[in-house]
This record gives sequence, C-alpha cells and structure tokens, in this order.
Amino acid sequence: MSDLDPVIHAQARLRVVAALSALGDGDRITFPRLQELLAMTAGNLSVHLRKLEDAGYVEISKTHRGRTPTTLIRLSRRGRLAFEEYTEAIRALLDPTQLDPTQLGSTPSKEQS
Amino acid sequence: MEQDDDRPPADAATALQLIRDQRAATVSRLEPDARLLYWPWGVAWLVGFGLFFLRFSPDGRVLVRLPDWLPLTALFVLLAAAAVVQAVAGARAYGQVTGDSARRGRWYGCAWALGSVSVYAGLGRVSEHLPHDQAGLLWSATAVGLTGALHMAGGAIWLDRDLFRLGVWISVLNVVGAFAGPGWHALVVSVAGGGGILVAGAVARLRQRHRS
Repeated sequence: MSDLDPVIHAQARLRVVAALSALGDGDRITFPRLQELLAMTAGNLSVHLRKLEDAGYVEISKTHRGRTPTTLIRLSRRGRLAFEEYTEAIRALLDPTQLDPTQLGSTPSKEQS
Repeated sequence: MEQDDDRPPADAATALQLIRDQRAATVSRLEPDARLLYWPWGVAWLVGFGLFFLRFSPDGRVLVRLPDWLPLTALFVLLAAAAVVQAVAGARAYGQVTGDSARRGRWYGCAWALGSVSVYAGLGRVSEHLPHDQAGLLWSATAVGLTGALHMAGGAIWLDRDLFRLGVWISVLNVVGAFAGPGWHALVVSVAGGGGILVAGAVARLRQRHRS
C-alpha cells in the first residue's frame, strides 16, 4: 500500500475526491453542499480541500450568486486522473479472484508493493 | 478528529468500499427521486384527459354530466402542480451544482416553455374557427405531440433510453388517438399516456435504487 498516492490515500480526502468524481465533467459544487454531502465540519473540509488544491487535484473558485459570495469546487483533470489511477491500484491490490471478471486483465501488476 | 480521518483506509477492500459508497451516496443525493419527476405528470394526464373523455365523449355524447369548465381547469391545475413539484425537486437536488448539467437543464426548460408558447399562439388563432370537438382535438394532439418530441429530445440530450422510449410511446399513441378522433384521443392519452408516464417513473426509480 506504500506506493499509493499519499494525497488521496487518507480517508477524508478519499471521500472528498470520490464525491467530486461523481459530478459531471463540467460541473462545480458549492462548498456548503459538498460539506453536507460529506457530513464534515467546514474547518475540516477546508483543511482537506487546501491539501488537494496544493496538489493540483481540485480547483476552487470564488464567485457571486446575486450578492452572496459562493465558493465552487471541482475535481481538476489532474485530480480525476489521480483518482482513476488510485482506484486501479487499489483494485490491483485486492485478490484477483474477488474481482469482477470484466475488470480483470486491465489491472497493472506493477502497482503491487 | 482531523488526525483520525487523515489516516489511510485500513486496507484496499475498505478503500474500494469507501469509494463506492461515497460515489453512490453523492449520485443519489444529487438526483431528485424519479417518482417526483414523472408521477405528478402521469396523474395530471390520467385525471385531466380522463375527465375530458367523460365530459366530451366520442360522437358528441356526454358520459358523465360534468360542468363544461371542469376538465380543462382540472388539467391545467394538475399540470401546473406537476411543474411546481418538478421545479422544487430539481432545485433541491441540483441547486448547488453549476456548470454544464445546469446549463443543459436550463436550456431544455426553455425549449419546453418557448416551444409551448409558440405552438399555442398559432393554435389560438385557428381553433376559434373550428367546431368545438375539432378544436379540442387540435389543441390536445398538438400539445401531446410537442410533449412526445421533447421527451425524445431529452432522451438524446442525457442519453437516457427510457426517456427516449417514453417520447416514442407518447408520439405513437398521439397518432393513434388523432386518427381515432375527438373524444377517443382523450381516452388514449389519459390511459396509455398517463399510464405510460407512471410506468416510466416506476422504471426510472427502480434504476436509481439499483445503482445505489
């Protein structure tokens, strides 16, 4: 498990990235809604988002909706790629006999640690 | 707390499960319950067009002595209620997400609104010169035809096979009803159209539950 991307390989950030990956490609979600989906405190979510932003995995933009300032969040292209690579690496670590046969063969064995 | 959730998942299986659960939870909460999107429309068609059939029945008969104004009023009130339910359910689910999906939904909504206005403006000019039963058929066949076409278009936009099929179904039964004539059209649209929308809503809900 040591080769796994350390930015994503933490429970909270994995949940953040997984939730953002479920959005449509060109979509952004507001901070309060993301917070509600993840049931995290605002402070906690901010900390993890900053780490993800520093790694270039999420894009955070501030804008206005009417007069209310809004923070919008999306997974960057790089973040999406990192999440896909992480998911594949996790699958490869699991016992191949437990895998769905359709997913076999595409899991690279070089990820094994 | 922050120390805890900064830790890696216990093992690969836990990580994969966490990913699956979080994605499923997110998708299901960012999507309105399909029943709220379909069923109010199905009920409106079933009841509204059903009353039309009972009051303005084929061959100029009256199956049930309802006031003249009741069928059309009931239909419009129920359609308006369905629109409100859909708007509220949509706003609660998608309200905090912006971007391509929101734009798609907004433009599709515009197509419904503007398309209806433009079609009805023309009908209003013509239908006053027609006998009452023919005017009724013209209005409902045009409205149902537009609905069928927009459902097919919606299926194409979201690549939703069930939505597309519903559009095909509505279009086909509209043709059948139009050929059957005044009165019969209302019966076909009520039972097959309203019923079809209710079934489509149940199917869409089953698919949602299957995914999460």
